[in-house]
Amino acid sequence: MEMLSVRQLSKIYGGKVPSRALTDISLSIEEGEFVGIMGPSGSGKTTLLNLVAAIDSPTTGEVLIGGRNPHRLKKRELARFRRRELGFVFQDFNLLNTLTVEENIVLPLTLEGEPVKAMESKVREMADKLGIESILKKRTYEISGGQAQRTAIARAMIHKPKFLFADEPTGNLDSKAAKDVMEILSAINRSERTAMMLVTHDAVAASYCHRVIFIKDGQLYNEIHRGESRQAFFQKIIDVLSLLGGNAHDLSTIRV
Amino acid sequence: MTFRRFAFNNVMRNKRTYAAYFLSSAFSVMAFFVYAVFAFHPDMSGGSVHSNVSLAMHFAEGLIYAFSFFFVLYSMSAFLKTRKKEFGLMVMLGMSDSQLKTMVFLENVLIGFGATAAGIGFGLVMTKLMLLAAENLLGLDEPLAFYLPWEAIALTLAAFLVLFVVISAFTVVILRSNRLIDLLKGSAMPKKEPKSSVLLSLLAALLIGAGYAIALVARGTVVVAVMIPVTLMVVVGTYFLFTQLSVYIIHKSRGNRSLFWRGTNMLFLSDLAYRMKDNARTFFMVAILSTVAFSAIGSLVGFKTLMTKTLLAENPFAFEYRPAKIDEGQEKAELAAIEQALRVEGIEYRKLQVTMSSQTRSDAEKSVTVVKASEFNAIAVAAGEKPVELAAGESMIIYYSNEFLGNQMPERGKAVLKAGAIELEPIGGQSSVILPNFESYYVVPDEQYEQMEHPSVQRFYAFDVDDWKKTKDAGAAIEERLKESRSRFISVAYELHLMNQSYGIMLFIGLFIGAVFFVASGSFLYFRLYADLPEDKAKFKSITKLGLTDRELSGIVTKQLMILFFVPIVVAFVHGAVALTSMQNMFGTSLMSTSMSVLGTFMAIQAVYFLLIRGRYVKEVVA
Repeated sequence: MEMLSVRQLSKIYGGKVPSRALTDISLSIEEGEFVGIMGPSGSGKTTLLNLVAAIDSPTTGEVLIGGRNPHRLKKRELARFRRRELGFVFQDFNLLNTLTVEENIVLPLTLEGEPVKAMESKVREMADKLGIESILKKRTYEISGGQAQRTAIARAMIHKPKFLFADEPTGNLDSKAAKDVMEILSAINRSERTAMMLVTHDAVAASYCHRVIFIKDGQLYNEIHRGESRQAFFQKIIDVLSLLGGNAHDLSTIRV
Repeated sequence: MTFRRFAFNNVMRNKRTYAAYFLSSAFSVMAFFVYAVFAFHPDMSGGSVHSNVSLAMHFAEGLIYAFSFFFVLYSMSAFLKTRKKEFGLMVMLGMSDSQLKTMVFLENVLIGFGATAAGIGFGLVMTKLMLLAAENLLGLDEPLAFYLPWEAIALTLAAFLVLFVVISAFTVVILRSNRLIDLLKGSAMPKKEPKSSVLLSLLAALLIGAGYAIALVARGTVVVAVMIPVTLMVVVGTYFLFTQLSVYIIHKSRGNRSLFWRGTNMLFLSDLAYRMKDNARTFFMVAILSTVAFSAIGSLVGFKTLMTKTLLAENPFAFEYRPAKIDEGQEKAELAAIEQALRVEGIEYRKLQVTMSSQTRSDAEKSVTVVKASEFNAIAVAAGEKPVELAAGESMIIYYSNEFLGNQMPERGKAVLKAGAIELEPIGGQSSVILPNFESYYVVPDEQYEQMEHPSVQRFYAFDVDDWKKTKDAGAAIEERLKESRSRFISVAYELHLMNQSYGIMLFIGLFIGAVFFVASGSFLYFRLYADLPEDKAKFKSITKLGLTDRELSGIVTKQLMILFFVPIVVAFVHGAVALTSMQNMFGTSLMSTSMSVLGTFMAIQAVYFLLIRGRYVKEVVA
């Protein structure tokens, strides 16, 4: 089943000098598929993610998530749609530091008005899955970056969304924590069959995807599929990135 | 780009941040200035108002100045806090310490001067409006003329130029203590969860509860005795209420998941704990100041009602006149003047006369006053009191009483008069306020009165008119005419008018200061909010991505603002209500209705202010 369908999406930023951020992007993501979006800085990766997740609105084109166009929804409905159907993971975690880890995780459920019992069992289940049971009572400034990102993933996944968006989730993490996070995401992807869209710079992170789409100057550049081996996929990603004209420092020096 | 150019652009392109600081400074200048215009008003310091009232006004001005100082200081530090990151960046790019200090100092001095000028300018416009309002609301005699208030301008200029220079110097101190790393991080460091102590929270509840109980139970003079300890208890209790108990309650509510984990409560309450703790001291100050203002205004209004009631009850006639001593010529002349004044005003009147004869008692200890029954009855009927009915040889004792002393009848003393050995044994007693006599006196039948010798008599005249309210001008004229005379003359309408004048001005001062405190405390809060705005915005933006509707968001913000705005006032309201009830127990008269209208007015003002700020803030956060 097609979870996400993007047709002829374009975005032009207005102003005195209009700039074209995305041109005629079309892509499609199936249920349970894990897709990475890569490209050099300024290529339009984050713009694409924002448009798809209905954080920003496109100039032309159409986005369908599970058959519904989020840009057509009213503001209230959109908010409901987001907290029921979508999950978000951000580079800077976006946890509320006035809340404990546990409270951060249940936040979307409290907004939905779920019974406390149900929320508690869901938190336990998620925490167990992500290995954060021991920090549930802690405050956000007392935990490490990797733990924070796992908390954010728990928050994004607690309502079992159909689609998860991740914007550079490993950007602020060391390589060990980044590896943990990516393994968790790919495990969730396998077990829950949640469709995922990952925007990243990090070739290692991207190598966990089933498919990586490359964007350059706002246009689709290339698309590669993962075979059996993640190592080989990683190598292929590096190759495409160098073809893209990325500089050496854009590439991760870590080879797994 | 020169350094000066840079500093200038910095201000011009960052208008919003500066505007808040500028406007709040200009506001405090304006409050001070408008007040100064009143304090220096020639009509105020002149004849119509007592000198101690004008002294009180200058004292209050001092208070406003002190308040302005802290207000501006606070605004300034909030302003600097929002710019910490910018300063850090400049230092990192190589701005020297002295350059940074010079820049900040110059900016502050410039803003200060600008704000002083703008405040005086707005103030001049406001003054005219306020003078009109004061005149109409207070029913002042001579219109308070608009004048060019040189003294007020000079005082305001001097006071605020000093204030801004001192405060600008403070900025240098504030900046010195900051290391680059702290500047760069700004306020990004997450704050620890506010802590509260169970013991102190309990103490807060205990102190306030006990204070209230004592205040409400106390009666009569006990109220005065317990006033100071109760006030202390409640003040300390209020302090811990804001710093401990409120945080404690919020903390406890975290444990209650069915409450905390419902809807937007989690977002709302978790933030609130920080906001409460951050603002606890401001809340405390505002609550106590408001309580003082409430109680003062309430009791002032109450006293005024009481005094008016007493004045009207004790003086049933429009004019009362008692000649100083037996000097027929002077008495005649003064009486003629009184009647003349009434005729000039075209007021119909009835003149009533009572002759009070002072008799020596046979035991020579004291003298007693004797009044003729026919005269007493005439005046008593006119005053709406009960006349006496006496058979030959009988007498009646008349005593003074009022609400506070209680209606106690004195002992029905038998008096044997020295002259003619006449025995006066009253058949009864009744109370009266007609004669200006606080001692009891005897009413005797006319025949008996005629038989007595009258070595020393004093006359008392009352002028009965249909509508005493119209006699104010005549009263004023006679009062003026009899200024030098030692005779006693009272015009109810004029007395009442004088009382209204001085109370009106005191009330005005009270309301004005109250309003200044209120608006200032509102602005304090607004500043705090403004300083936290970027953080709030970022936070709400990320929650919106998770799926928070605009309505839920504005609901959270509204609830928080409502608590911040109304908690101190509601506390003050309750404190004030208890204080007034207690005073009511002391006076035995109701202060409630009048004081409640005062408190209600303040609430309404605060509500309007709240709506204004809420509108702005929600717009800022959602945008």
